[in-house]
Amino acid sequence: MKKTLLLISMMLVLPVTLIGCATTSELEKVQAEQKLIDAKAEQALRDAQAAKAEADAAKLKADDATARAEKAEQAALERERAADEKAKRADATFKKSMKK
Amino acid sequence: MRQIPKHSFFCNWLRLAAFCMFILSLQGCAFLRSFQEKPSRLPGLPDREIARNDFSVAAGNDVIGRLALISLEKGDTLPDIARHFSLGINAISDANPGVDIWVPEAGQHIVLPLSFILPDAPRRGIVINLATMRLFRYKVDARSPMVSTYPVGIGAEDRPTPTGQTRVVRKTTRPTWHVPASIAERHRKQGDILPAQIPPGPENPLGEYALYLGKTGYLIHGTNKPASIGLQATNGCMRLYPENIEKLYRDTPVNTPVLIVNQPYLIGQRDGVLYMEAHRPLEGLGSSELERIYAKLRNLEKKSPRKLDWNKIKAVQAEARGIPVPILKMGQGSEIETEKPIVVEHPDTLYGKPETPELKLNAWYVLAGDLRDEIDARRMAAIINHQGPQIPARVLSRDNGFRVIAGPFRNISEAREAAKRLKIDLDIDGILIEPVDKG
Repeated sequence: MKKTLLLISMMLVLPVTLIGCATTSELEKVQAEQKLIDAKAEQALRDAQAAKAEADAAKLKADDATARAEKAEQAALERERAADEKAKRADATFKKSMKK
Repeated sequence: MRQIPKHSFFCNWLRLAAFCMFILSLQGCAFLRSFQEKPSRLPGLPDREIARNDFSVAAGNDVIGRLALISLEKGDTLPDIARHFSLGINAISDANPGVDIWVPEAGQHIVLPLSFILPDAPRRGIVINLATMRLFRYKVDARSPMVSTYPVGIGAEDRPTPTGQTRVVRKTTRPTWHVPASIAERHRKQGDILPAQIPPGPENPLGEYALYLGKTGYLIHGTNKPASIGLQATNGCMRLYPENIEKLYRDTPVNTPVLIVNQPYLIGQRDGVLYMEAHRPLEGLGSSELERIYAKLRNLEKKSPRKLDWNKIKAVQAEARGIPVPILKMGQGSEIETEKPIVVEHPDTLYGKPETPELKLNAWYVLAGDLRDEIDARRMAAIINHQGPQIPARVLSRDNGFRVIAGPFRNISEAREAAKRLKIDLDIDGILIEPVDKG
């Protein structure tokens, strides 16, 4: 009877032990996988942040270029307007000088 | 037997004579043809000449002349081109908006508005349209009615030329100018004391010829300021280029009727096509004249099988380029064919263009401007050059700018006189420059 009971106990303990071992390795595997994914995520985040920073820098650059272009255009318009004004003033003076 | 050789000799002689006559007659035809044929020009090449003053008026036509194009050369100014082609400065600048009057780009093509719609007035004597600043002198040639047309300068905004019917009451060459009180006062305020009268000569603003009108104090005369033709610059008189007044003076007897009108919008027909020509109206008349012309157009539209393109009419009116634009094909037929402008060759020398004498080391000069911008310097020099009488001026380039120098002047008093005129007329503070070589 004792022998039978021991046998039964052993038969029960062995599978449980085996199941326990299996669960631990699984867990380690999952954890390792999680670490890998986390590392990937970290990399992706860093990449995304870098990309965003690059995009922000590019936008800043573009905005700056646009602002400079607008300023240059404004300056050119201003120069053109000033030249037109000068020409008009010269014409007005000339017309006045043509009177008797 | 002896008769035969005689007959043969006579026949041969006759044949030879006939042959010679035939050859000579062929030569003669060729010789004549060489005179009759006009020199043929290759297609696409510019024409040397274009009608600018004298036109025949075909029955039923109201439009005369042709538009032309010319390519500008370095040193051209619009007033010089205008004078050469007998146009006013107003006409050439309105036809070419955006082109710098004094410093246009070389190689630029500009329109010569040498096509005109005759004013809506009886075609006799002299008709002057103030809005277009153009005078029309009607004559009847042995074959057809003729018109000679010239650009004019008219009364300033504060001294407008009066409209209405009058006539030439007398005419004179080399007139004396009796300075009106208003002009003497204006000059006095500027520190320029004018004499009571100015004798004939370069200082006389009436030029060499004058037609006195029935309206007392108003004249059609020449000028010593040719660049003012096409401007509102007179005291109410009408002034013409010296070369135009000379011709008009000869063509116009005393008692010739003179009608002065103010028609900024003109419509007229040529070869079954209705044209419209719009000019910037002079002060205070635009809207009533526009109403009048719109009413006339509506009447014409009623009589025509086609509808008027009112958007086009409004565009012509808004642009006011002073060029006849086809707006309606009268009667049956195809669409309007727009006449292409003639390309005119640039003349070697432009008639009346002010010349600047060579620099002389023993002459006096006036420094008129010290400028950074070349265009500004060239504009200033051109304006000084186009004063009447001319003050010669040129641009001297330096490392860091451009100087406008007026002269050469023979002595200090001439230089001082020029500096005074620069101050009074152009508000330029000139600086006298002594001769380099005082010997």
